[in-house]
Amino acid sequence: MTDLRELLTAIVEGNAVRVKELVQVALDEHVPPEDLVSRWMIPAMTEVGARFERQEYFVPEMLVSARAMQAGLALLKPLLAQRAVRPVATVVIGTVRGDLHDVGKNLVAMMLEGAGFQVVDLGVDVPAARFVQAVHEHQAEILGVSSLLTTTMPQMETVIRALAEAGLRERVKVLVGGAPVTDRFAAGIGADGYGESATAAVRVARSVLGLPEGP
Amino acid sequence: MNSRERLLTALDHREPDRVPSDLGSTQVTGIHVLAYQSLRRHIGLPPVEPRMCDSIQQLALPDEDLIERFGVDVRGLFPLNSHNWHVVNAGVGDAWEYTDEWGITHRRLKPDGLYYSIVRSPLDGAALTLDDIRTHGWPNTGDPRRIAGLHEQATEYRAQGKAVMIKGVLAGILEMAQRVRGTENCLADMAANEVLACAILDKMLELKLAFWEMALPRLAAVIDVVSEADDYGTQTSQLISPRMFRRLLKPRLKILFDRIRQLAPRARLFFHSCGNVRPLLPDFIELGVDILNPVHIRASGMEPAVLKRDFGKDIAFWGGGVDTQEVLPFGTPQQVKDDVKRNVEALAPGGGFVFSTVHNIQADVPPQNIIAMWEAVQKLGGYATA
Repeated sequence: MTDLRELLTAIVEGNAVRVKELVQVALDEHVPPEDLVSRWMIPAMTEVGARFERQEYFVPEMLVSARAMQAGLALLKPLLAQRAVRPVATVVIGTVRGDLHDVGKNLVAMMLEGAGFQVVDLGVDVPAARFVQAVHEHQAEILGVSSLLTTTMPQMETVIRALAEAGLRERVKVLVGGAPVTDRFAAGIGADGYGESATAAVRVARSVLGLPEGP
Repeated sequence: MNSRERLLTALDHREPDRVPSDLGSTQVTGIHVLAYQSLRRHIGLPPVEPRMCDSIQQLALPDEDLIERFGVDVRGLFPLNSHNWHVVNAGVGDAWEYTDEWGITHRRLKPDGLYYSIVRSPLDGAALTLDDIRTHGWPNTGDPRRIAGLHEQATEYRAQGKAVMIKGVLAGILEMAQRVRGTENCLADMAANEVLACAILDKMLELKLAFWEMALPRLAAVIDVVSEADDYGTQTSQLISPRMFRRLLKPRLKILFDRIRQLAPRARLFFHSCGNVRPLLPDFIELGVDILNPVHIRASGMEPAVLKRDFGKDIAFWGGGVDTQEVLPFGTPQQVKDDVKRNVEALAPGGGFVFSTVHNIQADVPPQNIIAMWEAVQKLGGYATA
């Protein structure tokens, strides 16, 4: 049997090639795909998040680890779907109408996926109606809304109003983020949470769903 | 004391008659064209067809009537580059698109998009090779047409007693690398494919040197400040680790800054780096940076009084005058005045301070708040010794 601690290490070190090899070997050895994800891959990304918070890792290292995680997940996703494995929760995420920034949003999406969430990424310049439609269509538990500009921040409130008008506000937790966004702003527009970084976003996502801090 | 003397005195860490100020001399201390027009209307200046110094950020070049009224002490030179030269607004569906001399595609949303954002980077392929970098169609940054007329302009400003500063023709080494490679690819390369990352960083350094080696021999005698930039900070921390900065960026900045100093020995070196760059300030100082901008006071670690205490003897602060993320767009005029008071009181003592907003004044800033800011600077910016 392969020592799967090596899979954890390969993700933490951002070695995508090694991650794919190890996932394939483990599958050939009949390790259940959900075990690979929950016992090795999610804990690896938890470690990456912890290193980011301790400022041992910065964005480049986090990106490389997230890409390694995704390389492994790409092999596993069809199998997980076949076996009807449920994600922690479903998150719809996007950058608001009028705003084309996506680096921060993408990092949040990667870290959420690394924590076992299913992420539906709508991209940038997303009109309120598309957020609402996607929340409905994917039965999302969380909606993540990003804005990088003081001039597009008011769009976040528009999205929350549109959810209420569609009768979906009570069914979904709304998390907001982006450089000019603050806790105070989030509370002011009636959002359920705010994360100041990609790792904080994962923490807040778990907390608004009433899940314990670590996976 | 004229404007130029005022600015140079402050940059020498001595107190002039009052705090010198900047509005619109660089692409990072400017004003969005919509805010500019509403400010002009608000104070009763005649309508003008605004000249743009940066079409990508939609920054207006403030006219003399306005900056004279505000007592701005410095004037900027804007060499021609991808933000103000051959910018084409081509309608593509629900947006305007523009592909620049680097091969970067920018997009501004119709009908009221406030800026262009990058949507395609020319070297974003997963299989990018060193050869691709070598053979990409790079712009000729050493083309002297880029500075046509700037010597005359600078000479005229100096004759009027104004200080003169000049910017370069490409964004920072890391920032420009991100634009051509794509932000995520560029940062990932730095962690996982250093050879490729360094080839792009070296290309950016080479293109910067080509511009300054063309421009400074012609202009050094008539300018006071040379500005360079590269963003390393985020709202809470740094984009890359200080260790990575020291390994990959600092040696290249050293080559760049040494060369600029050699070509323009009397000019002060202004360096713009957004966000929390506190851990890098000793490195900037060691590299010979004279002036830090924007002094992002709202980011973690950038409390103005603490920066002044810890670094004020070694570096001048140009910016940090008022927060542009919350107070200036969303605050009341009184909150603007309070913020200006706090920042001027922290940064002005002993000189070493040039007042400007933390970053460009954006389209959503009410003219009343800009007026409140300038009233506060007029009231609080005087030095007792003058």
